[in-house]
Amino acid sequence: MTEPGPRPAVLVYRHPGTPAALLRQVCAGVEEEGVPTDVTEVPGPDDATALAHAAAGESRLGVGIGLDAAGAAAVHHGTLPERTPVVATPAQSLSSDWRRVGRIAARVVKHLPLV
Amino acid sequence: MDAREGGPPEGLLVVGVDIGNSTTEACLAVVAPDGSITYLGTDLTRTTGVKGTPDNTEGALKAIRGALARAGRSAGQVETVLLNEATPVISGLAMETITETIITESTMIGHNPTTPGGEGLGVGTTRSIGELGEQQPGEPVVCVVPHGWDFDDVAATLNAAVAAGVDVVAAILAGDDAVLVTNRLARPIPVVDEVSAVEKVPLGMLAAVEVAAPGRTIRTLSNSYGLATVFGLDPVQTRQVSPVARALTGNRSAVVVRTPTGDVTDRRIPVGELVLHGAGKTLRVDVDAGAEAIMEVVGRAQPLDDARGEPGTHVGGMLAQVRDTMADVMDIAGQPDVPVSEIAIRDVLAVDTFVPAEVRGGLAGEVALENAVALAAMVRTSRSRMQLVADLVSEGLGAAAEIGGVEGEMAVGGALTTPGVDRPIAVLDLGGGSTDAALLTREGECTAVHVAGAGELVTKLIDSELALGDREVAEGVKWYPLGKVESFFHLRHEDGTVEFVDQPLPPHVFARVVVLTPDGPSPVPTRHGLDHVRRVRREAKRRVFVVNALRALRQVAPGGNLRALEFVVLLGGSALDFEIPDMIADALAPHGIVCGTGNVLGTEGPRNAVASGLVRAHAALLAAEVQ
Repeated sequence: MTEPGPRPAVLVYRHPGTPAALLRQVCAGVEEEGVPTDVTEVPGPDDATALAHAAAGESRLGVGIGLDAAGAAAVHHGTLPERTPVVATPAQSLSSDWRRVGRIAARVVKHLPLV
Repeated sequence: MDAREGGPPEGLLVVGVDIGNSTTEACLAVVAPDGSITYLGTDLTRTTGVKGTPDNTEGALKAIRGALARAGRSAGQVETVLLNEATPVISGLAMETITETIITESTMIGHNPTTPGGEGLGVGTTRSIGELGEQQPGEPVVCVVPHGWDFDDVAATLNAAVAAGVDVVAAILAGDDAVLVTNRLARPIPVVDEVSAVEKVPLGMLAAVEVAAPGRTIRTLSNSYGLATVFGLDPVQTRQVSPVARALTGNRSAVVVRTPTGDVTDRRIPVGELVLHGAGKTLRVDVDAGAEAIMEVVGRAQPLDDARGEPGTHVGGMLAQVRDTMADVMDIAGQPDVPVSEIAIRDVLAVDTFVPAEVRGGLAGEVALENAVALAAMVRTSRSRMQLVADLVSEGLGAAAEIGGVEGEMAVGGALTTPGVDRPIAVLDLGGGSTDAALLTREGECTAVHVAGAGELVTKLIDSELALGDREVAEGVKWYPLGKVESFFHLRHEDGTVEFVDQPLPPHVFARVVVLTPDGPSPVPTRHGLDHVRRVRREAKRRVFVVNALRALRQVAPGGNLRALEFVVLLGGSALDFEIPDMIADALAPHGIVCGTGNVLGTEGPRNAVASGLVRAHAALLAAEVQ
């Protein structure tokens, strides 16, 4: 392998059933803050917090987002215990909440207050 | 020392009780016939009700019983309870802004969205995004996007318009989409977002949008001549818009719209004159002149008989407000009300401050720093009802209770039990409403003064200068050191040391300036950095306590000469503050004064001075009777 490895980014682990609108708004939230994202489809567990924890562990920035099939979302940081994510939103949230999930993930990377 | 060793000491069991504005303290001791004192225990509890009212009884009894329990004594053994004669002053606060920025006809949007898009300056006519299709090519356009537009649609519409020859030079968005939109544009333009009242942006008017590179501030719209160049202004108009430039200074992005009748005014509100009667003179000072000028005049009218404000002006209103509040406090049910006109203001402390106020007529919650003046005022009252409290305590405890002495004198007596002090001794009681000083000379003469302004004023200054709008948070900023949470596992203290924690810090404090309370870090809701918050806190303390310490000590010092003082002992709740005692000691050091926080009885710190002073005074009286 001659590739330099994955670029530093917020990793987004999405269940194959994740609603497209959710993924779009979450990624927009990260992008608006000027931080790159990499989206990976993970067929494994259908649990936002577990997906976010796995993504954070893999991310070179230590920050991951998990999205499940029902539409729940979570942000995790590599140093935190699996059951205490930075933030988690239930399924059936507003699109502004989805945007906020992305923004918070980016702000953890940038060390800014999580608003 | 310990009473239980070698049998109980002989003598009478007495309790000194000090009812303060916020705490009630008790000191239990045995006084032998020769006047020697054996201290048995102390206690401290919250004052119940307003100081000097019958409601105080409950707290007083609680403190007495607490001290008795610690010493293993019963209420029946108590010979006498000694209460303080409350300092006959109450204080009030008022604050008023003296400048105001008003935008008429919405001419500027000077807010700082955290993430504007693109960079540079765009000047053109404002057009709604819906009308972009009808726009003729050639004329420069600033596109205004209302709420509800998706970022992909905005970018597509703008790209289509540009492709059709429309010269789109900038955009103003309602939502938080600036970076998303600019990332999707074929031709980059500056974009300002999060303009909440975007519908108020006038359409068809010449507007300028400027976004600076990250880490930079705008250069053109914050410069009066930059505005003159962009909008082709003559010298008279340039003078008119200079407040706009000033208001936009330091921003990363800004929008200025030129409307035909638009105007930004930066007007000074007539504050009025403060009229001071004292020392046989009547002196007037314009409150506009600032705190330093006011305090200089107050100093010349010392001792003050009364202070009044010019009716119909701000200062008139401020002092009337203080008087009204005080009249309410002094009113006693069943007795005629205190006439407001009879309440004489006996001291005033003026402090320059600033208040971040939302600009009237702004479109995105713009904030301008307005100058303000805060006044603390103090009145004397003859209506203390400590005797009634004493009667109730006597009834509740089944022991005699009497008024033992005046607070200032008792505090000096208690302070003398601090190791390492001697006469002449001055005490500074740093309270909530007033700062009190008392001096005991080598010959045993005692003088006491009270000056307006103390802990409450510090809290109020911190609250308004940081725009917290929450007294509890301001109290936290005053009482506890600051820190900055730098990750989920470490925080940096205000002195620069970094602490690692075992348990992750909660997300709501992440990357925030926090106050380090005993219950853990608590966020300070501000966009300011730690250094700014720290500076505001220290300045508030300095302007109130250091200024008042010098003012009060000069009034008790022989000939007003601070060099004539030798020992200054700091007492009261604010003497427990982590930096106020050091600030006062620094200010007094050049005068050759030994200054420090008291340690009453060698164990109580700055607490319990009045309560133990009451016991000492009583013991001296008994000894004199025996002889």
